[in-house]
Order: sequence, then C-alpha cells, then structure tokens
Amino acid sequence: MKSSGRDPAPRTRRAAVAVISAALIAGISCAPIAGPRDPSDPWERMNRGTFRFNEGLDRWVVAPVAKGMDFVIPDPVERSMRRAFDNARIPIHFGNALLQLKFKSAFDDLARFLLNSTIGFAGLFDVAIEAGLEAHHEDFGQTLGYWGVPAYPYLVLPIFGPSSPRDTVGLAADTFSTVYPWFVPIYVPFSIGVGDRLNWRSLALDQIAAEREAALDYYVAVRNAYLSYRENQVRDQKEDETDDEDLYYFD
Amino acid sequence: MMKTSITSTERRTHGLLRLARTAVVVLVALASGFAAPGARAMTESEAGARAVVSETVDEVLAVLRDKSVPTEERIRSLEKIVYGRFDLYVMSRLVLARNWKRFSEKQKTEYVEEFKQYLTNSYGSRIERYDQQEVEIIGEREEPRGDVVIQTKILGGEFDGALVDYRLRKQDAGWRVIDVVIEGISMVSNYRDQFKSIVSTGGPQLLLEKLREKNAAGMVIDETSAK
Repeated sequence: MKSSGRDPAPRTRRAAVAVISAALIAGISCAPIAGPRDPSDPWERMNRGTFRFNEGLDRWVVAPVAKGMDFVIPDPVERSMRRAFDNARIPIHFGNALLQLKFKSAFDDLARFLLNSTIGFAGLFDVAIEAGLEAHHEDFGQTLGYWGVPAYPYLVLPIFGPSSPRDTVGLAADTFSTVYPWFVPIYVPFSIGVGDRLNWRSLALDQIAAEREAALDYYVAVRNAYLSYRENQVRDQKEDETDDEDLYYFD
Repeated sequence: MMKTSITSTERRTHGLLRLARTAVVVLVALASGFAAPGARAMTESEAGARAVVSETVDEVLAVLRDKSVPTEERIRSLEKIVYGRFDLYVMSRLVLARNWKRFSEKQKTEYVEEFKQYLTNSYGSRIERYDQQEVEIIGEREEPRGDVVIQTKILGGEFDGALVDYRLRKQDAGWRVIDVVIEGISMVSNYRDQFKSIVSTGGPQLLLEKLREKNAAGMVIDETSAK
C-alpha cells in the first residue's frame, strides 16, 4: 500500500465509491429493528437505510425539481405528459400481456397505442379510453408474478425505490427490451424514466407530503402499500376465491 | 362478406388508411366482445351493502361540492356521514389484530377514540383537493363468511380510473364499512403493519402515546392546508 501519491482511480469512480459507501453507511448505521420482523422483509435493516437515503435524495433533489416543474407547468399539461409517457411504454405492456396469455389486454394495448399515437397526438390525449379501451399496465415483474414468482422479499433500491428481486429483474428486462430489438439508445428509456418520475412526483407533491405527515411509520406504510399494490396487479382484480381470514376476522 | 367491387386504384390510395381503420374497428370489436360481462342477479346482502355505499357516496360528494361552506364545518359534516356508516370499533379492532387483547378496557376505549381522531386528521385536510370527481359503483361480491365488497371507480381528476373497494359487514344497525381498499391497498392492513411494530416495541402505551402526539400535531396540517 502506498503511503503517498495520487489516487490512480479516476475522479468519477472515486465519486461513485463515495456515494455507494455513503449509502452503505446509512444502511449499516440505522437504528436496530425492534419488534418482530415482517416475513416479507428480511432485509428490513438494509432497506430502511436505503429508504432513508432515497428520502434524503427526494427532499434535496427530486422534490425541489418537481416543485419547480409544478410551478412552471400547469397540471393539465403534466397530466398530458403523464399520458404520453404511458403511451411510450405500451409496447412493453403489450409484450408482457402476451407473455401472460392475456390476449384481451394485449389487444386493448395495441389498439390504444394505434389510436393514441395518431389521433391522440403521440399519446398526449387519451382518445382510446372514449372507445372503451382501458389501459393495462403489465410489466415483466408482473409477468414473473403471473408465472409464480412471489412479490417478496421487499427490496428498496437506491434511487428507484420500493422493489423486490423479482421486480428488479422485471425493471431491467423491460428497460433492455426497449433498447435491443429496436436499437433505441439506452438514454431514451432512461430519460423517459427520469422524465416520467419527475412529472409523476410533481403531480404527487401534496399527496406524498400528506402521507409522510400522517403515517406513524412511513417506511412500513410504503412497504405495505407497495407489496399490496403489486400483488393486486398480478391478481388483476380477479375475484378472490379465498376470503382474507387473517385480515378480517378476530379469531 | 367482402365486396369485390372496389377498384385497384381506390385500394391503392386508401389501402393503408382503410387497413388501419379496419384494424382498429376489429380490435375494438374483439376487445368489447371479450369484455362482455356475465349477467348475474344481485344477492339480498349485496343489494343492502350497495345501497349503503351509494347513499354515503352521494352525501359525501354533496358536501365536497358545496365549497361555500367553511372547511371546518364541512369536515364535521363528513365525519358525521362517514362515521355513521363505518364501524370504527370493528375497524380499530381489526387494525390491532392479536394485539387487541393486550389493551385494557380503558386503553381500548381511548385507542378507538384516538384512532378516529387520527383518521379525521389524516383525511380531513385533503378535502380542499376535491375537483369534481365522480364515483361509479362497478360491482359487488359476497365473501364466503358473509361480508360484502362493493367495488367502485373514481372518475375524473388526478386519480381517474382508480379502483376503490369498500368491505361491509352486517351489524344490528345495518351494513357498515369495515375496510377501504384502494388499488389493492387495504387501510386496515396498512395501519395494522404500522401499529404492529409499535405495540410490540412499547406495548399499548407507546401506540397511544404516538397517536396522541400525532393527533396534537394533526391540527397544524389542517390549518395550513385549509388556507
């Protein structure tokens, strides 16, 4: 080990190492978990650290930018942008609907894409919904769920937020399937992702502030919401045959 | 049957457009064909529960629409409507699940009161954001042990298309809501997860303390968001 001299690592790599170790330290140094562990969250200690890191990022970077957007761009325009971002992702939803053998959803998606990309001006307007064509947001995480991969263990990703190993694979697969077969440069899905995220954040400023304020344990509230939401998406509002005994009865 | 009288010129000039239009029409037809719901008569329970949800929705929307009434007063009216149709005792108890037994009678009473206040503070401050949304009842189902779930959909606004399920249980006084499930996220389950770790760390006392603390601070949010 050299005691003096310049670090040979390029500055960017050093910066990356600094960020990652900061995240790790935040993860390790968070308060010990008291009480019973949730079986769907065996990595709670690490997750809480990453969650705190994301919250910091949100407070200091994402929310201020979103606030700026919210100030400059009127809400109806933001909602139109939301629809356009949604429309841009329909090919992914279409493919995933097919992978889950949901042919009706696939048809809906295809028709929605055709209608909204043309008459709806690149998806800025949702004309398909007037024709009774509902959106189906099938992603690869749900496809894996459809074929039996569970939504847990819960995993909080840096920057991306609530996820699971299944949904992380799903996110990667969806991103790369946008890139390779169509020879779209990687920054296209990436900037769609960032743009959509900021836009969504800007629309949700009040709700998130309210949720954060109201929750007794915001981390747990978000975890429960994420896992329930994803499970529900995989179930697709199908009539649940098994009554939720555990949730609704005292005995 | 396909008509063969179309000339080749016509076909060439309009071919693409026609194809696109046909494709859309066929797709829409297929989609709506697939979507045709099976007709099924509503059970007596379903009809009863549905009536309660429908009444509540109408009354709540009426209060939300009338912005001439001061916010404070509207929150009070909403409390009266909502808490009249919700079984808060059952809800509070379901939220605690097994931990309910750890509470003394006095603590139970206090907890139900604090939880009610907590709900008012959490949701009451949001009434200013109401923006002409409508609620449509889209279905109902009876669960194996007699509860009824009424499925609704929000129309318009930022949550357009969001699905909200109300779970009702038959009580002596009639059908009462015991859970609200928004896009698969159950209120009872969400609060249960949050309260569980608090009770197991500090017992009933800690949960009551935290609720009291939140409720005291809750007034502040109300004032700021009420403008």
